[in-house]
Order: sequence, then C-alpha cells, then structure tokens
Amino acid sequence: MDGHIYGYNLPISEKTKAVPWEEKVRIVEEVKSDFRFKEYIFGCLNCGVCTASCPSNRFFDYSPREIVQRFLEEDVEVLYDMMHEYIWACSQCFTCWIRCPFVNNPGGLVAIMREVAVRNAFEATKDLLKPYGRVLLKVMTTGNQLSADMLQPDFFPDWGPKMADNMENLRAKRLAIPFDVGKSVKTAWEVSLETAVEMYTIWRETGIFEMLEKLDPNLYNVIMDIVEENEERYEELYEEEE
Amino acid sequence: MAKHGFGHNSPGGLLRYPEQPPFPLKEYSAHYDHIFEMMEELEAKGEILIHRITEEHQPIEVFTRTGRIKTIPTNKLWHHKSCGQCGNIPGYPASVFWFMNKFGLDYLNEPHQTSCTAWNYHGSGTSNPVALAAVWLRNMHQAWKTGYYPLIHCGTSFGSYKETREQLIMNKELRDAVKPILKKLGRLTEDGRIVIPQEVVHYSEWVHAMRYKIADLYQKEGKPKGIDVSNVRVAIHNACHTYKMIADDYPYDPEVYNGQRPAASAAVVKALGAQVVDYSTWYDCCGFGFRHILTEREFTRSFAIQRKLKVIAEEIKADLIVTHDTGCTTTFEKNQWIGKAHGMYHPVAVMSDVMFAALACGAHPFKIVQLYWNCSDYERLLEKMGITNWRELRKEWEDTVKYIADLEKAGKYDELMEFFKEYDLYEPYSRTSTGKPKASATANMPLFKS
Repeated sequence: MDGHIYGYNLPISEKTKAVPWEEKVRIVEEVKSDFRFKEYIFGCLNCGVCTASCPSNRFFDYSPREIVQRFLEEDVEVLYDMMHEYIWACSQCFTCWIRCPFVNNPGGLVAIMREVAVRNAFEATKDLLKPYGRVLLKVMTTGNQLSADMLQPDFFPDWGPKMADNMENLRAKRLAIPFDVGKSVKTAWEVSLETAVEMYTIWRETGIFEMLEKLDPNLYNVIMDIVEENEERYEELYEEEE
Repeated sequence: MAKHGFGHNSPGGLLRYPEQPPFPLKEYSAHYDHIFEMMEELEAKGEILIHRITEEHQPIEVFTRTGRIKTIPTNKLWHHKSCGQCGNIPGYPASVFWFMNKFGLDYLNEPHQTSCTAWNYHGSGTSNPVALAAVWLRNMHQAWKTGYYPLIHCGTSFGSYKETREQLIMNKELRDAVKPILKKLGRLTEDGRIVIPQEVVHYSEWVHAMRYKIADLYQKEGKPKGIDVSNVRVAIHNACHTYKMIADDYPYDPEVYNGQRPAASAAVVKALGAQVVDYSTWYDCCGFGFRHILTEREFTRSFAIQRKLKVIAEEIKADLIVTHDTGCTTTFEKNQWIGKAHGMYHPVAVMSDVMFAALACGAHPFKIVQLYWNCSDYERLLEKMGITNWRELRKEWEDTVKYIADLEKAGKYDELMEFFKEYDLYEPYSRTSTGKPKASATANMPLFKS
C-alpha cells in the first residue's frame, strides 16, 4: 500500500517494491545482527519525546520514533525503504538518545542502517555521498578530515564575504600562527608518514577500502594511488633505516 | 557491578562517589558507571591496560551528571587535536596551548596522530565500529607510549571515544576483532593488551577544572590591561556530542544551575565574572548535522538561525555565544550572514570557552585567538570587553601575514627563517618533561608539502 496509517507517510518507493522480499529481509537482518542493535533498542512507549526534540524532525519528514517503532514491528518493507533516503535526514545529535525514557538510541540505529546501506552499495548512498568526496579523500589518505584549503568561498557563498578574505594569503596566515596547530594548508596538521600508513592498514583490515571501491570506483582509484605511493615511500625509508 | 548509592568506591578506585550527593540527582542507578568496574576486571584478567591518571598529571576532581567523581588530568598532556579546529578555527587550540604555557604546564603535540574519523562516520556511514575502535586505540597507544595523558580537543572525538570505550568494554567480539589489527600495527602492549585510558577527557573539562586558575590570571594580567568582562552577556551552547552522547560522563556542578545543566563552559564564564544568561532553546543542537553542513545547508542555516541565533538575540540579547565544539562554533559563526536575505540577521560574536577566556586574560585577539577567521561580529564584543585597541592589533597581525607572504612569494627563505627565529613561536615540541626538543622521527616528512 502507499503510505501508512501513522508516521511514515511516504509511499513505498518503486526501488523498494522492485527488490525481492528475501533481499529486503537479508538487509534488515544485517542491521539487526549488528552487535550494537541490542544495546540501542529496548522497548518503546511510543511517547514521541525523541521526535519532539529531534532537530531534523522540524525540517524534514523524519521521525526517530518511527525508526524504533518499525523495528519493533519488524516492518521489513518500510525499514528497507527508509534506508534509501529517509535515514540521511538524521543529524546524529543523539538528542533522541538522552531524552528517551527507555534509553533507546534511534540515532545509533540510524548509524547502523547507514553503514549497512553503504556496505551494500545502495544507489541512494552513491548520490548522497558524492559531495563527500573531498572529505573521504582526506580522511582515507591522511587521517585528517578537514583542512584549511577545503573552506573555499565559492563552495560556501552563503557564509558571507569574509570567507574570501580568509582564503587570501592562506599559507602565510597559517605560518604566522605562533603555535604548531595549523602550519599545514592541505591537512589540519602535519601527519607523520608512519601514522598514515597505519591508517591504511586499518582501512584494509576493516573492509573500508573494499566498501569504497563498490561505492565510488573513481574516488577509490585516486585514493589508492596516493596510498600505494605513500606505502612505497615508507618502505624505502624503512629499508634505509635498516 | 556497581553498588548504587553514595560514598561508594570500586576496589581499584576508578569508580568513586562522594559521601553526599553534590546536587539533587534523579538517576542514582545510572547504567554507565559500572563500566569503570568492568575496566578493572578486564585489566585483572590481562585483557587491557588502563592508562592511569597519576599525581604527575596534577589531577583535579569534578562531578558528573550522576554524581560520580571524574578525575581530570591538568598536566603532562598529549594533545589529541581536532581536524576542524586546526583546519579552520586555529585560535581554538592555540588558546589551549597559550594557557598551558602561561601556567607552565608540560605537554606534547606531535604528528603521530589522526582525527578520530567519527565525523566522517556520522556524516557518511563510511566506516564501522571495528575501524573506529582501531583508530581510537591506535591514538591512545601512541599517547601511552609517549608517557603523556591524552586530552581530546574535539567534541565529536570525545563522544565517539566514550561510546567506543563502552562498546569495547561490553563486547568481547569487538575486542577480539580489533586486537589482531592492533597487533599488526604494533599497537598492543608487550604482553598483548590493548591500552585504554582511565578517563576520556575533553579540553572543556580541562578548562572547567582550571577555571579558578584562569580567573586568577584574568585578575593578574587581563584586568591590568583594562579588560573587564563583567558586563558581557553570554549564552552557553553545549555540544550534543559532549553531553548527549554517553550523557553520564560529563561535568555537572552544584554552582551551575544546581547541577541541572552541563557545567563545563558555563563555569569558566561564571568564574571570570561574566553574565551567563539563560534562554529557552539551550537544549537544542546547533544544526551542524555532519553531512548537513556540507550538503543540506538549508537545514543547517535554518536551524541555526531560527532555533538558536534568533532566540538568543530576541530573548536575552547576548553579546556572545560560548561553545566548546568545533562544529557548533562553525555553524553559529558562519550561518549568520545568510540571514540577511530573509530579514533574520542576528549578529552575535561566537567563540569557544577557551578563546573567550584567553581574550579575558589578555591574549592577542588575532595572533593567539585568531579572530581573523571569524565571520561573526566580534568587534562589538572586543569593545565591550575593553579591548578598544583591536584595530591596531589587527593591523599588527595583518602586517605580519603580509611580510611572511611577500618573503615567500619572493623566494627569500633565508630571510623568512631569520624572521621566524625572532618571531615568538611557542614550539610545543620543546615542551616536554625533559625540557629538550622532542621532534618525532618523521616530523620532517610531511605527506603533503603544503
């Protein structure tokens, strides 16, 4: 049916309808099998305190109460549908968590759902994460997520005219800080090569590179070029020391 | 498991309560506090090593929401930096370092650390708990190896690390998954244990613990410069990831709303003698939303303006919003100007607790507090604080920047190096317990020469 008797009033998308039932069950079970699931959901009074205090609820058709309720009802169709776009409205502030009388953590459930959606390369995640490419490039290759050169005024015109001034002589401004907290422009701080190489091992061992390859092959290739180059440099340095 | 009630101590001393409740408490049976007893059990079994806070860290005790006594180390600290702060609000960590130098404290700031990567995870879902745990434990091992105690600069790192610690302590399967990775990295102790710090400590807790020393410095150095904050009206914004994520582990204090509100930033503002002014949406988030500030900016700016800036302007006419997290500072700071388009321009200065405290104690507004990055209206605040020479100070800063830029453009590196020799650089590497430079082996090999 299109729409629901309460709460989730979005029609079930064609994308969801086209997916075989077994696949939808598999995805929802993947969420439920996460070790955190049992720590994030206990019961629900349906009191709506979580939704009443949810910032995203004020601006989007999004309700943390709905997430909890659907899991308790095991509504596979709706849960699968939510994983396309609905869950990306959550701002991960965890107000729902601290307010819930049952100490449910709807924001935590969303984190698991997002992770499963990304791991299974949902089409929606590919679109949603395109603007995230620069952050992923930084974090995967350097272990830093944000750097001074990312705050370009043309990307943030709504932040006002001072942004352009901030970017002028950026390198000199960073060098002029009398502490070693921002000499670098392309990374938040200078990250040692061995630290970055340790990060690459973590990404490999935990399946993050693999997940990225499915999500965005072009970005994956760019990242791997940098990763391999740095690993080679590190090996050379290590051999020299030996 | 924890015995609920006051005056309770765990056998190893990590979990402690005062004899009397410090303020009216509603949750005597908090679910979180037993984590500290479980940590001791795991250490006794040889699974983990607890990086303990000792006398050399000059600890100061604070209360948390449940009345638990939390130990805040104030000396010999390993700065776990924030990518957002160092990336776009450098006056934030610079103010922390400035205070530590003023107080003659020992600390270490080194390049063998990464971001927590939790911003990425909360924004994009492109990580997982094993990776998050490995990144955290790797950073914590590095801190332990240096002999310095980790101080977490970022609110999200702080929240994520507290959550990760709980998950690790509660879940053997997570410990089993992360151990082989850490072994591969050489990030286990010699006898194969993972290193977990006794307390996960946010810089705002350090500021909270040090508030009376900061207030003394204000009296001794700020006031003689003509600085007076007594008329400054301050709206406090507490960051969601500091006090809503693992809510039980953040300072509450009898002097701040009788223990009914997070204490950290409000307490230092009060100690300085400025006016903490309450407003109806104190509980709301800032609207940062992780991915939202990048890709759903209409949400971020609408929320920031309508739920916070407008309310703060109309209800209490604050001179300043004091924050303690990178994301909140950025959100309030950068989303004011756009309000002009809809007749909702509510200009107010925005800065972190430590930046405001540094200004009050006489730090240079541009060289140290780095207000040139601010898009918000900080000038009126400086005037009100009595820093009326801010134009000259800004020119001094701008001249320095121009001088450096010109020398670099002309390729005059020798002159530049000479200039830096004279420039009063506070080099954190030199601030080690031995007093000798402690540059890392790879400090001169940046990934990106930038």
